[in-house]
Amino acid sequence: MKLDDIARELGLTELTPKVTGDREAEIERGYASDLLSDVLAHAPAGGVLVTLQVHLNVIAVASHAELAAVIFAGGRRPEHDVCVKAIAEGVSLYVSPADTFDVVGRLSALGVKGNHA
Amino acid sequence: MEHLAYDIQSGDFGGAGAASRDLKQHLKRIGAESDAVRRAMIAAYEAEMNVVIHTEGGRLEATVSDGQLDVDVVDRGPGIPDVPQAMREGFSTASSEARALGFGAGMGLPNIERNSDRLRVTSAVGDGTRVSFSIWLRPEAADQGARPSSLGIAAELCRDCRHCLAACPTAAVRVRAAQPSVLHHLCVDCTCCITACDPGALTLLDAPDGLAPGADGVLAVPPALLAGFGDHAVDTVLQELRGLGFAEVVSVHPYEDELRHGVFDLAATSALPTPVISPVCPAVVSLVELKFPSLVPHLAPLASPWEALQRDLGERDVTYVVSCPSQRTALLAQQPTAQRRTVTPRLVREAVLPRLAARRRAPDETPAPQSQAAGADDLLVVTGVSHVLAVLEQVEDGRLTGVSSVEPFICDGGCFGSPLLGEDASVAAWRWAAAAGAAPGEARSYERARPYRPRPGIRLDPDMAVAIRKLAELDAETKALPGKDCGVCGAPTCATLAEDIVMGRAVRALCPYVTPEEGNAS
Repeated sequence: MKLDDIARELGLTELTPKVTGDREAEIERGYASDLLSDVLAHAPAGGVLVTLQVHLNVIAVASHAELAAVIFAGGRRPEHDVCVKAIAEGVSLYVSPADTFDVVGRLSALGVKGNHA
Repeated sequence: MEHLAYDIQSGDFGGAGAASRDLKQHLKRIGAESDAVRRAMIAAYEAEMNVVIHTEGGRLEATVSDGQLDVDVVDRGPGIPDVPQAMREGFSTASSEARALGFGAGMGLPNIERNSDRLRVTSAVGDGTRVSFSIWLRPEAADQGARPSSLGIAAELCRDCRHCLAACPTAAVRVRAAQPSVLHHLCVDCTCCITACDPGALTLLDAPDGLAPGADGVLAVPPALLAGFGDHAVDTVLQELRGLGFAEVVSVHPYEDELRHGVFDLAATSALPTPVISPVCPAVVSLVELKFPSLVPHLAPLASPWEALQRDLGERDVTYVVSCPSQRTALLAQQPTAQRRTVTPRLVREAVLPRLAARRRAPDETPAPQSQAAGADDLLVVTGVSHVLAVLEQVEDGRLTGVSSVEPFICDGGCFGSPLLGEDASVAAWRWAAAAGAAPGEARSYERARPYRPRPGIRLDPDMAVAIRKLAELDAETKALPGKDCGVCGAPTCATLAEDIVMGRAVRALCPYVTPEEGNAS
């Protein structure tokens, strides 16, 4: 499943249309957590993260964990400087009005798997 | 050699990550292997965040040589009163501000430990903390086919008995501070340390979510599992395995037979040097690639039975019951798609045993075993790691004549002898032979997808000049050690400790026979 398809299926708002990463890349795995150390330890490279955290450190963590995209759940929006940083780091950001549980459920229904499945 | 230094400000959540990001760029530029870069970044970032969250500020210094990354993070206090407590996952003293940002979950130091190859934390209350960790860049970087490992380590079960040290055929296991670890560049994914580990600290990685049969799911099993339930006939076992919710249960054994024929055919064409070595056991293949690179041309370029079965099952939803780490690694190396998962025999046994027990206990008739189907007279089947090593030595020295093909298995008794199965190897093999013709299936052999490649794991350095210098150091270091091979240092022999010291994985002071003065000299 490609990022654009996921965004369309889940009705996500894209915050970083300028990210020029590999938009054709398949997103096979995902992770959901608000503990950034947990994200670092367990999030799958190339995957998508669902989180409530919207501050700048999320981008650093996403970049270090080599994540392709971050979906902010619960309609939470980051500050502008976070989006600028994400574009620089090549991480796509999206917002969903749905809460974490529902976002993950829909991703799962689209075939995005957890870390070990 | 490259030296980098970064100042880290206390409470600077916005600036945190700058040091680790810059470090990442450096590591990529020297061509470090991507997994090592990722681990280095996570460890460095956690160390950086620790300084931001907990301290009065500090400094991160990194030294990159071609072989390893050494990172030293020193802060200006307040220090950690109880370092072992801080190393435990879940323990945290972070402020509510840090917690609100998603930090301070007590995972920082454990995360650093998990992602580094060596970690030392020293702290003085009121003075500050020094976190030093190292990540080996070279062995993985030099090994093009850096493979994931399938060996699971449950350190909390380790009794520190160190039986695993002597059991490993490639001296890849270390036990330090009651923590077993494996040098992945030396590991061949066999079962020797698992066999040696009574408490079960070393084992085969399982699927984390257990046995989850899908509606159209296939369960792929080794024959040893089918024949491993006492007097329950193979057909009965097959039936109850399907009853767990699988649409189909297939055994890998027809692929073992096909591979044997494929090897015979190759031996007959004399396209390969004789004896032709069968790739039936991926652990032996790995052993040859690592320790007997001159024998790589002897390996038949065919897929292992499990790999061939995997090809035929295509995109179906398959759960593979693998009986050793090497099979798991081989399966997962082939396009790890979401449908492919491996589980341990134990998981399946635990699921199916109640079903078998619930059946009426009319013992199934065991027919008299038939004699083993006669293969070619000049096939040598060799099982058990010491025998495999002896035979490979003989082949390498050209002393093994009259044998056209060798079928080597790391486990004593072949795949029936894996320590991860529930039944004794001889009994299970006898029952399987008795049930000849059970679980019939079609199979074929396939060419290998990945070519065999000598593994450079035992080279001291990819640069020959450096390797030669290290060899001299190794010589001197070995002479300085007592030669007792006692294992107290956590390495299997004095020679391996000497190598650990030269490669920066250990210090001489670990040896109980070395006086403190001598230890400091190293």
